[in-house]
Amino acid sequence: MTQFAELVVTGLVTGAVLALAGVGASLVFGIQRIPNFAHGEYLTFAAYLAFLLNVPFGQNLVAATAGAIAGTALLAIGIHFVVLRPLRGRGLVAMSLVTAGLALMLRDVVFLVAGTQVRQYAIDQTKVFALGFLRISPGEAVAIPIATVVLPAVALLLARTPMGKSMRAVADNRDLAAISGIDVERVGVHVWLLAGALAGLGGVMLAVVEGTFDPNLGFQVLFLIFTTVVLGGIGNAYGALVAGLVLGVAMDLATWNGFFGGLDAQYKPVLAFCVLIVLLLVRPQGLFGRATVL
Amino acid sequence: MLLEVRRLTKRFGGVAAADDLSFDVEEGSITALIGPNGAGKTTVFNLISGFLRPDHGEIRFAKRRLEGRRGDIVARSGLVRTFQTPRVLTRMSVLDNLLLAAQDQPGERLGLGWIMPRRVARREREIHARALEMLDLVRLRHVSDQYAGALSGGQRKLVEFARALMVMPRMILLDEPMAGVLPALVLQLLDHVQDLRDHRGVTVFLIEHDMDVVMSVSDRVIVMDEGRLIADGPPQAIQNDDRVIEAYLGPAAQSESSGKGPRETPRG
Amino acid sequence: MDVFNPAFWTFVAIMAGIYVVLALGLYVQFSLAGLPNFGHVAFMAVAAYTMAILVVRAAMPLPVAAIFGLVAAVALGCLLGIPSVRLRADYLAIASVAAGEMVRYLATNLSWLTGGPLGSVGLLGPARFVSYNAGWQDLLDRLSRALSSVLGSAATPDRAMLLVVWSLAGALLWVFRRLERSPWGRVLRAIREDETAATAVGKHVAAFKLQALLLGAALGGLAGLLLAWQIGVFSPNDFEPTLTFYAYLILIFGGMNRLWAIPVGAAVFSLLYTGTQFLTFFPLSLVDSGSRAFLRLFSVGFLLVLFMMIRPQGLLGNRRELLLEK
Repeated sequence: MTQFAELVVTGLVTGAVLALAGVGASLVFGIQRIPNFAHGEYLTFAAYLAFLLNVPFGQNLVAATAGAIAGTALLAIGIHFVVLRPLRGRGLVAMSLVTAGLALMLRDVVFLVAGTQVRQYAIDQTKVFALGFLRISPGEAVAIPIATVVLPAVALLLARTPMGKSMRAVADNRDLAAISGIDVERVGVHVWLLAGALAGLGGVMLAVVEGTFDPNLGFQVLFLIFTTVVLGGIGNAYGALVAGLVLGVAMDLATWNGFFGGLDAQYKPVLAFCVLIVLLLVRPQGLFGRATVL
Repeated sequence: MLLEVRRLTKRFGGVAAADDLSFDVEEGSITALIGPNGAGKTTVFNLISGFLRPDHGEIRFAKRRLEGRRGDIVARSGLVRTFQTPRVLTRMSVLDNLLLAAQDQPGERLGLGWIMPRRVARREREIHARALEMLDLVRLRHVSDQYAGALSGGQRKLVEFARALMVMPRMILLDEPMAGVLPALVLQLLDHVQDLRDHRGVTVFLIEHDMDVVMSVSDRVIVMDEGRLIADGPPQAIQNDDRVIEAYLGPAAQSESSGKGPRETPRG
Repeated sequence: MDVFNPAFWTFVAIMAGIYVVLALGLYVQFSLAGLPNFGHVAFMAVAAYTMAILVVRAAMPLPVAAIFGLVAAVALGCLLGIPSVRLRADYLAIASVAAGEMVRYLATNLSWLTGGPLGSVGLLGPARFVSYNAGWQDLLDRLSRALSSVLGSAATPDRAMLLVVWSLAGALLWVFRRLERSPWGRVLRAIREDETAATAVGKHVAAFKLQALLLGAALGGLAGLLLAWQIGVFSPNDFEPTLTFYAYLILIFGGMNRLWAIPVGAAVFSLLYTGTQFLTFFPLSLVDSGSRAFLRLFSVGFLLVLFMMIRPQGLLGNRRELLLEK
């Protein structure tokens, strides 16, 4: 049972990362019609920015994370204005190719600047915290409180603030939103800010949870982020929040002994892939989406 | 009856775009479907042509059940539609737009071009000749080599019309064929539509906003409002139908307009 | 190696031929049918692994194993295509990225089957190296002996490979040129332009898209086989996801929709790419070979973005056609 509970905790932490990155990617997909292949690289960028602040500059991890969030949000906005906005209306595939190109550029800049060696933050990775009968790693000990605060905050932001409501409206139906007086252009800028900031936090969290990381960090989870987006329904922000958590927990629970003796941990991504394919077959609109017309 | 629609229903969220509709279209007739904006006319076309799946109801075309069938199967069975905003293939030539629509070209099967090159070439010559004939019909032969995307909106309507005819339909669904077409061309198009029925035996079912067109060309008129069928009959009877006038102009306008018949008013 | 070494140019040309086959697969899927496949490399990897495993572990003759390799690539195409061709293009884009990653992931982790991270060297386990390539080398040897009666001492196995690859590439280009201009190609172009319009004139869109996807998968598989034969040993890292984007870059050189531009694009790309791998003169001498790999990938990304931004019609294309109003 302890194993079960620990797996749920690990899964929730992974899930929180996927949820953070997934909400941003899903809103960007819904609002800008861009499947952002560089989203994983935003996570990598954030992880390395935090590393830069944390290790060479000796800031504590909280300050480093704040810096990474701000920096990644700026990066996302910058890319929006310099590259993506001028290309608007060029279609989905053009956007896919451009963001894939951006992904290669970002990842290889990180490789060139930071090198291939494995990095870790200046936190004690060996410590084990006891939480009741649970043993959790320091990474998780940091990630859990962040996730429990941030995920509801994001949900609240989308549900209550005018900008959050506008974002959901535009993601749902761009034309209708434009007719009802929403400044679609401004929403487009804000959604990149939000997506960048959330990817920033997600990237640092991912790096903390993994313990060590290299510049492939974000790319390795790109397809999990996309699975989250499809699972939640493209453009559906709440869907992505829940889907990220569900996917994270499901992948870790699959390794539980009680689950047919437990799947080998290395097949977790395979499970996610199967989820994606089955989902495309039976419910392409996602777990929570509505079927769209024509 | 060529087309029989029974109790057809389609809801989007809570709104019924088609609500328990039943009507027939007689073979060899020109039937018009009219109604204010948002009445659900295009939804009905989408349901009949297989682009939407109905929630309930039956659609029979030439005695065959069609509801829920894929759009391409519906088209191949002889029931072809056009679109409100014409969907020409912009980066293909006008001629290719038409050639595409021909049926029974074995060369569309992967590899058959190698197995039976003669048959493919012969069929290609046939449909080429037919495409030129259709382009003559809509007077667009002079642009046959241009990209369809270079044409004006009205010309695109004509290309789409000709393309639909290339399928050799038994019945054609025209979604606002006159909208955006130059007034001079409207008469010409009207001639084509009548010619379809008189000389080619094609049944025509059209959505149209121009009441003069509807009243002059159609044998029967079906009126919809808010997803429901509110009137169905010959044009003269429809012109004087109280429910129709009310739907178009609101109850207040009823008395003044009864003589001239309903006209499209911008609403919604 | 330097530019005066003929072996360098042979290598560049062989790789260019393999890239032609690779890019042709994407051309059929993407340029003809409008299917955005971002996991093309998966088809290569599946075919190469299937072939190598069958040759080494089942002692299957090379040609039979090669056919099974292609079948495996097509089967992967079915797995990917059947759920997604009916859906909007973005779903295929996502599913194909996932498939590309998944194949590489399985190749790395299913060590008992694939040799794990070591790749084909480890197929039979440590220290039991058996190459899958003997049959192929044998074929090239015989071919080069046959050629030596015409070419004399200029006939080498490498040049025999060059001949095989480019004959194959040329034949395939010709075949697909014919297909593109056939009524079948017309339907695919129509689907790329507007699926709804194609449906409205009675074309079964999903069936045509699936055909294009599977043909492309087979071509990707063939490129994978050729690459495996050319490099002799391979590992999961030889099937990096970026290979797919090389193929896109090759298509973009030609403006995406010109079949005859593929060999030109492939030759340019192969020269740039291979050149930066082996040549060491200034300014390439400024960076060490490790960084150069990243610099090269960076440049691929940069060129992709640049082309999409300023010359979406490619080096040779016509912008007017591309931007025709929908």
